[in-house]
Amino acid sequence: MLLREFFSPDTVRLDLEAETKDDALKELVSVFGLDEKSEGILFKMLKRRENLGSTGIGRGIAIPHCRSLVVNRLRVAFGRKASGLDFKAIDEKPVRYIFLIVAPPLEVSNQYLPVLGKIAQFGKEADVPDALAGLETPDDFMALLESKGI
Amino acid sequence: MHPQLELLLEIQDLRTQRGGLADGTLTDVESDVFAVSIEDAIEALDEKVAELESRLHDDVRQRYRMMTAKGMRVVVPVLNGICYGCFMAVATAKASVHDRNARVESCEHCGRFLYHLD
Repeated sequence: MLLREFFSPDTVRLDLEAETKDDALKELVSVFGLDEKSEGILFKMLKRRENLGSTGIGRGIAIPHCRSLVVNRLRVAFGRKASGLDFKAIDEKPVRYIFLIVAPPLEVSNQYLPVLGKIAQFGKEADVPDALAGLETPDDFMALLESKGI
Repeated sequence: MHPQLELLLEIQDLRTQRGGLADGTLTDVESDVFAVSIEDAIEALDEKVAELESRLHDDVRQRYRMMTAKGMRVVVPVLNGICYGCFMAVATAKASVHDRNARVESCEHCGRFLYHLD
């Protein structure tokens, strides 16, 4: 399983307009093209997950995630906010890079956990924050994943 | 979407989240990567589920409890006219997804509440 198979350039936003954590989650959820009600439910579930503990894992990276029946397959998106967002991250530093993962409650191939794990591992690599900061196009993001062999 | 269906969806999604923490599948990643206190998280989810359950109408709550007592998933998706609870074809009216989800519908075969995805 390769992480880059789950991303596509149209789910990569290198200049998020959001100025708050909530708005960033809403902006990223909107890339999936769901109806308004489903977007609302997904946002609510992501917030409920955040209430259990921030998904900001430090070094400017957050990985909000949840399962919900409103999606019929695993979906991922990436967003960047260069100026940073208050995400109540573990290291209390602003979050600049957001990897959003949503999946249905049951999946035939059960990819949710491996994808979550791979993104967390990717986010912990020393050079990744700088590499994400230097991206100029969504295609660069895809190329970065490819260069990492993931 | 019907408010009761939306509530059922929320409850089920929270129960799914709780299940992942309680059965161990998400325990390692949530505690090691995200520093979540599993016990506190389960307690918080239980409280939220109980609060949402109290907002279900009596008839819906009664059916919801009957299904959860049997370990059934309460709300299941409908894709291409198939109930993904029992995998039988369900009768679908010629209405948009939005309109179909505006009602609380059940599968005539397995009784689960239906959420139309297409």
